[in-house]
Amino acid sequence: MRILILGLDGAGKTTILYRLQVGEVVTTIPTIGFNVETVTYKNLKFQVWDLGGQTSIRPYWRCYYSNTDAVIYVVDSSDRDRMGISKSELVAMLEEEELKKAILVVFANKQDMEQAMTPTEVANALGLPALKDRKWQIFKTSATKGTGLDEAMEWYDTPCRTFTEIFKPLNTPRFDYKTIILKLK
Amino acid sequence: MYTLLSGLYKYMFQKDEYCVLILGLDNAGKTTFLEQTKTRFSKNYKGMSLSKITTTVGLNIGTIDVGKARLMFWDLGGQDELQSLWDKYYAESHGVIYVIDSTDEERLSESKEAFEKMISSEALEGVPLLVLANKQDVPSCLSVPDIKTAFSDCAPKIGKRDCLVQPCTALTGDGVNEGIEWMVKCVVRNIHRPPRQKDIT
Repeated sequence: MRILILGLDGAGKTTILYRLQVGEVVTTIPTIGFNVETVTYKNLKFQVWDLGGQTSIRPYWRCYYSNTDAVIYVVDSSDRDRMGISKSELVAMLEEEELKKAILVVFANKQDMEQAMTPTEVANALGLPALKDRKWQIFKTSATKGTGLDEAMEWYDTPCRTFTEIFKPLNTPRFDYKTIILKLK
Repeated sequence: MYTLLSGLYKYMFQKDEYCVLILGLDNAGKTTFLEQTKTRFSKNYKGMSLSKITTTVGLNIGTIDVGKARLMFWDLGGQDELQSLWDKYYAESHGVIYVIDSTDEERLSESKEAFEKMISSEALEGVPLLVLANKQDVPSCLSVPDIKTAFSDCAPKIGKRDCLVQPCTALTGDGVNEGIEWMVKCVVRNIHRPPRQKDIT
């Protein structure tokens, strides 16, 4: 499974990544470039790419799009002013051919803040109801407090398992030469 | 000659696409119904195991082909706060499936309220309506007549549109085929909402 964590700068992407990986809050600095970690959650391994969110590095997101199974889009729910930018980045991203099959999971982060928007408000602000041919989900999270992440990953569990179940047969070799040779003998 | 050829092309390479909304309160069984439908109507689909389905907070999609028609399902989350997203999909939908949890007598009035609000929307005028009385496998559940009685005062609002109350058990698949076949028949004959033409890919 390859998952991308995307979102504007300061949305909390890196905090979420390390919260998932080591289970605690790490002090982060703005990511310039990317962090990549293997996260194991309930025996499932994900390769998670956390890309820097600043305006200058957003054009490079697309270099990482191929073979992505899911995109976690992190939004700072308390940042009402930049919701519009967040939306246009999301829309531009979803238009990419390489992400056509990817599942979209939105984390309405920073729910611990007083002025945070509700998940429904975030969904509307991001224009999610306009997505008609893609599976999407939205979760309220607070990466620093650690709330909501379990529920979000719990959901994630379901499609992943089916994913591995479906693709398992492909990984086993079609012909087992040793048995064939033994049988011939 | 052109008409003939284009007609032939359409016949061979295009499908009529209809969008069907799946609505209802949370925990009614909408996603289970969708998964069951996908498993039954698409050949190579290996669905997720039905017991693992969790709450939908957003949108699930699914596509099935029945004859010349292609149904595209939008299964929306049913929680209170998510119901405000429903109407964003009304204008483009060709049919609505409303799922009711027949075992949950307590929330039946809440379900009716959401139902009434939905059918009052002008954007859904004339759109066929399939009401599923789900979870009929539970012995103590409400029967179809019970539900019809409870929803009886919605009748004027339903008006002339096609409407069917179908008993079903999404978990086992009882009543799923009947429901979908009825829905296909209705959306195809509803001339007020013509389908979208889509090339078969």
